[in-house]
Amino acid sequence: MSVIAITPDYEKHIQYRDEQELYHGSLLVYVHWEEHISFVSAFGVPLPPDTPFGAICEIAKGIYGDHPDAADVDWAKAEWMIDDKKATPDFGKSIGENGVGHKSLIRFWTPGLHGYKGTSN
Amino acid sequence: MTIQIKTVEFTPKRHTFGHIARRLGGDRSASRYQEGTLDLQATENFHYKPLWEPEFWHYDQAKTAVKMADWYKPLDPRQYYYATYNIARANMQQAVERNFTFADERGLLANLPAELKAKIIDTLLPLRHAHWGSNMNMAEICQRGYGTAVTAPCIFSAMDHLGMAQIISRIGLLLDGLTGESLRAAKQTWMTVTAWQGIRKLMEDSLVERDWFHLYVAQTLGMNAVLLRIAYTGLEASYGTAGMALAMLTEFCADWLAEEGRWSDAVIKAVAAESPENNALVSKWAKDWIARAADAAVPLSVAVLGDDTAARVAGEATTAHARALGLAL
Amino acid sequence: MTAKKLSLKQRYEFLTRDLDWEPSYQPIDAIFPYDQFEGIKIKDWSGWEDPFRLTMDSYWKFQAEKERKLYAVIDAFAQNNGQTGISDGRYVNVLKIFLTGISPEEYQAHRGFAFTGRHFRGAGTRVACQMQSIDELRHVQTQIHTISHYNKFFDGMSEFPAQHDRVFYLSVPKSFFDDARSAGPFEFMIAIGFAFEYLLTNLLFVPFMSGAAYNGDMSTVTFGFSAQSDESRHMTLGIEVIKFLLEQHPDNLPIVQKWVDKWFWRGFRLLGIVAAMMDYMLPKKVMSWKEAWDIYFVEAGGALFKDLARYGLKMPKYADVATEACEHISHQNWGLFYQLCHVAGFHAWMPDAAHLDWLSEKYPNTFDKYYRPRFEMWAKQEKDGKRFYFNGLPQLCSCCQLPMLYTEPGDPTKTCFRSSTFKDTRYHFCSDGCKDIFDNEPEKYVQSWLPVNQIFQGNCGGATVPEVLKWYHINVGVDNGDYVGSPDEALWKSWAEQRLSEAS
Repeated sequence: MSVIAITPDYEKHIQYRDEQELYHGSLLVYVHWEEHISFVSAFGVPLPPDTPFGAICEIAKGIYGDHPDAADVDWAKAEWMIDDKKATPDFGKSIGENGVGHKSLIRFWTPGLHGYKGTSN
Repeated sequence: MTIQIKTVEFTPKRHTFGHIARRLGGDRSASRYQEGTLDLQATENFHYKPLWEPEFWHYDQAKTAVKMADWYKPLDPRQYYYATYNIARANMQQAVERNFTFADERGLLANLPAELKAKIIDTLLPLRHAHWGSNMNMAEICQRGYGTAVTAPCIFSAMDHLGMAQIISRIGLLLDGLTGESLRAAKQTWMTVTAWQGIRKLMEDSLVERDWFHLYVAQTLGMNAVLLRIAYTGLEASYGTAGMALAMLTEFCADWLAEEGRWSDAVIKAVAAESPENNALVSKWAKDWIARAADAAVPLSVAVLGDDTAARVAGEATTAHARALGLAL
Repeated sequence: MTAKKLSLKQRYEFLTRDLDWEPSYQPIDAIFPYDQFEGIKIKDWSGWEDPFRLTMDSYWKFQAEKERKLYAVIDAFAQNNGQTGISDGRYVNVLKIFLTGISPEEYQAHRGFAFTGRHFRGAGTRVACQMQSIDELRHVQTQIHTISHYNKFFDGMSEFPAQHDRVFYLSVPKSFFDDARSAGPFEFMIAIGFAFEYLLTNLLFVPFMSGAAYNGDMSTVTFGFSAQSDESRHMTLGIEVIKFLLEQHPDNLPIVQKWVDKWFWRGFRLLGIVAAMMDYMLPKKVMSWKEAWDIYFVEAGGALFKDLARYGLKMPKYADVATEACEHISHQNWGLFYQLCHVAGFHAWMPDAAHLDWLSEKYPNTFDKYYRPRFEMWAKQEKDGKRFYFNGLPQLCSCCQLPMLYTEPGDPTKTCFRSSTFKDTRYHFCSDGCKDIFDNEPEKYVQSWLPVNQIFQGNCGGATVPEVLKWYHINVGVDNGDYVGSPDEALWKSWAEQRLSEAS
């Protein structure tokens, strides 16, 4: 579907406000810890495409560190999904090489950790 | 002697809002006009270009050719906010009601000779349409303008014009004994009689003006200062034995013209004083619309008063007035 | 033969729409350039039924009387320091949300109705819209004047215009109204006139105004009473608009249905903020959000759509999803406020034990199972001196602009993720409702000024939180963070102590 405007060239007048070019060379990446939804939402972080995937774990540690489950996370066993597809990321390779694009959503599950008292919180 | 009432003191942390304090140059008590007006309109980070006019944001300073560093400079000397505006109009309207009752009970209009009735229908009642067009213009400036200081009084003005269109219409209903015949006749006059066509054309031309401050100048210095002034001053002289009654019934309109003028003068003065470029634009618009309004008023002036003196005088007086506001005419 | 006297209806027509004329010196499409492109077909504007027959003389008279009374109460409230008589200092945060999030939208409605009040070619419709325009100006101004007195004592209210333009959660109401303002005039009327002012109005009005009444805020509740007759006029305009459009041409139905679906969902997301306010911020509760939803949407809205079914109009799409979500949204949104109030202009707090029990009672299906544990965990962290704040910047929905915090329909343990790709860029949504809205008009929503994304792009005063908060006009350590330990709390306690010492 397309917008119905007074003029057919509506699109010429608008500004795309979330394109990758606007992020000074970075990709905006979203990261979400599944079964821990007491955290308000996935967090966003702009990262240069050559950032090693492993850096995401380090950032996530900073964001999620206050949770009682945080200390028990075993990153080697985490299960990943990038943009709705199951993934086995290579931590040493860049996020780009791991298939992460601008505004990709990276979700991860931590087996055995199901949130505070198993309530997904 | 004064009676001392003992009260508990609560020391306020601040006296007004931050944005108001910055405008006042310090944290001082502010008036309700100030708190209800200044910086009220959003100014940045708009989300979507309007589907109906993607050239601009819905609040956009580029919708007029004049430029202001701060659209909160042209303030309203009446300091109207909604409450004070409505209370002022309700008070004015009280007098209107008394006057209409008086005129109705004594048959001041109903008993006029047919010839005089016809003159009122031909020369006064079509003004209801001019007020209606003016109502549209002021609503347009309200929606299209920039900054609450200018736009809020515009919706007041739009409603004023609607109210005055209704006052004129009620004069018709007094004349025709509530049949609406006089209003039908007056509309016919507005649409077809030559004497009114210049005015109707002027009105319709203003309705397609999309530069909102241009429209503001057209409406306030053209329609109001020339046309409505001719219509509402000197009624006693124009309508013989009906003159006093009409002056009484349109007292609201005459008072309103003077009051509205106080505000619109202040706005035009402030905008023109901002820069030589603004002054040149506003002067050009003023010159054009004053001349067009005076020309359009000639046939009416002849029909009401017998010659074009009133139109000419109103045009000259408005030109002189515009010069006093700082315009180069 | 003498002509017959006019009926009241005819008289009103002479005083309004008969003032209009068919132009001949300028083309009518040049005078009304905006009311054709949306595809709405109006066969006969004279079929418009004036929703209220108010001439200016009576408008001025009624409104002036109401204003005299209202301002007398506001003055008395200030003179008697009514702010000390509210139920609790926490209550003031309701007013902060109101002034920063609702009042500026009353202003947008004022300008929007001025637009439709000028640009419909139907004269009767224009008059009705103009009256609503000036009413909405009344509402924003009286709200500012009412809350002005609170601003003198409490924090978080003094920078409302700048905050409305900049702060992240305020882009939710702002984008809602920008969306309506940038839509064509007919869509604006369905969005604001019908969906907001008719269908959902009680869900906004009742929580705030009854909330004020229950919590000793006499000036706000007086505003509420005073605005009631305006609101009922606005409701009759909203219902007249939708009926008129549906009566005029059968081709209007699918267009109107699409707008009803869109604005219902957009309104539902916006009202989620009110839901959290109602269930968590009122020290004295009126009713639960769920109860309000059941009364004002499920029952009243259901009856309304039953009535509108004769035109072929259906219940808004996802109404059932919304009703199910009403078991959750207030808790989810309070969780948002709780963990992000360090970057907000108001305070949040941990509900106390009695409050948690009230929530269990009001939400027997969901609260103990999904949300009590969340508060229990955070309460424990608070007790250990580690009050939890979310450390990152949240992912926002590209339509409603709320953080992507809502859960899958039917599974409240799983965050709902939806996305679309437009011109090679991915966009994320919190729900099917928001995704549909984007997919219908992608060129519109790719323009969204998403506050978090704008921070990353470097457009919000700087890259660090203190820089952004400064740009937000949020006074750190004063306006933001937990209520406990805030200057507001200290002030409230000092008044309570003063009262105690006076009593002894």
